[in-house]
Amino acid sequence: MLAYDFKWSILWADPYGSWMLEGIWVTIKLGVICWFIALFLGTLIGTLRVTPWKLSRLFATGYTELFRDIPLLVQLFFWYFAAPRILPHSWEMYLYRGIPNSEFWIVVVGLSLYTSSRIAEHIRAGMQSISDDQYNAALSTGFTQFQTYRYVIIPYAIRLVIPPLTTECLTVFKNTSLAMTVAVLETTFMSQQIEAYTFHGIEATTGACVVYMIITLTVVMIMGLVEKRLAVPGLITRR
Amino acid sequence: MIEIKNVSKWFGDFRVLENVSETIEKGQVVVICGPSGAGKSMLCKCLNGLEPFQEGDIVVDGISLADPSTDLIKLRQKMGMVFQRFELYPHMKILENITIAPIKVKKMSQADAEKKAFELLERVGIPEQAKKYPGNLSGGQQQRVAIARALAMEPEIMLFDEPTSALDPEMIKEVLDVMINLAKSGMTMVVVTHEMGFAREVADEIIFMEKGSIVERGTDVSFFKNPKSERTKEFLDKILLV
Repeated sequence: MLAYDFKWSILWADPYGSWMLEGIWVTIKLGVICWFIALFLGTLIGTLRVTPWKLSRLFATGYTELFRDIPLLVQLFFWYFAAPRILPHSWEMYLYRGIPNSEFWIVVVGLSLYTSSRIAEHIRAGMQSISDDQYNAALSTGFTQFQTYRYVIIPYAIRLVIPPLTTECLTVFKNTSLAMTVAVLETTFMSQQIEAYTFHGIEATTGACVVYMIITLTVVMIMGLVEKRLAVPGLITRR
Repeated sequence: MIEIKNVSKWFGDFRVLENVSETIEKGQVVVICGPSGAGKSMLCKCLNGLEPFQEGDIVVDGISLADPSTDLIKLRQKMGMVFQRFELYPHMKILENITIAPIKVKKMSQADAEKKAFELLERVGIPEQAKKYPGNLSGGQQQRVAIARALAMEPEIMLFDEPTSALDPEMIKEVLDVMINLAKSGMTMVVVTHEMGFAREVADEIIFMEKGSIVERGTDVSFFKNPKSERTKEFLDKILLV
């Protein structure tokens, strides 16, 4: 058996180094965009699930179950292979040819919806742990339902669920790796491509691992700062 | 000012309120007492439109709560409410807790709202706490802020749902003093409480509730001296032990 010839320099040698950097940039872009869309949608859907109106609760429950219960990979395949076929032919052509990087945006849709359903559940859990009288107190000062959620319940609930939201944020960045299956040139895709060109699989994959570690640790740090900034006396705080 | 006419409320078979009637005039202080589960808090919440009821009507200042077209948001601005567990907004400083409703609901300017808030904090005796968070205050202080928050909307009626039940004995007095001053200033008040000292001092009428109905009512002397029902007597004996 031949000894494996380690060559770590392939991670930065031309052109592989710039492939890796491009991949990292796509991973970060994808993660950040999906995170903010999912946070917004998730907060909205989570709120709709606890409102007193039956129809909105029904809608939000359906939304959550639909996007939470199907494996993310299958959802991405659906949005990539199946959904465009349902569109009128001219739209389908526009999607593939008119939009540069259409696969990137298709993953944005799939990953955001999937993540938002999970965030919605965290937000709902936070809201349901707030006492009924807190709602009543806000309403008794003359707030509308909307104002009660906007000024009191949502800011309160988000503070309660920051720890699970941190996990969720990490998951978004890790899940971006599935985008390689629909040809988005992100970190995992690039590391696989380097392996294919150089046969240095150990270095390429280890490189990807390190990249994800750095990204996720940065996320943990940022969320820690957010948690610290939002901390208020009497609610859970970072010690 | 408030007219409660034969109000009944139930959850399935369980009657929470049973044919409750009561008239409260402007400036009157009505104390509601009774064992837990008697429906006192529920009645208080019904008055503010926070809980619906199935039968009867509550008319506040000529506005019917049973009428589905009634604008509850408008109605609630006439009434301030104070809760057992204070329910301050934990993520807002004391000052914001008091100013947010006047600013967002009454469209008051921030400067005016803050001026008003400081006056109210002065009135409840804790102006120095304005920049702190609720979590930094003692229970008694939080409850006084809650009273100030309710007063900031300049209500005509104040509802108190067991305002001192969650407090240490030492802090009860500081909250009761604020409430007594409020009563003496002519505020119409409905107070669910077991503080009979408070009732003696300022109540115009005391109501004893059990199992959703009003069992007995009286002005203070008659209520304490010679309760008509056996149940009231038993209850009073227990809470007036000391």
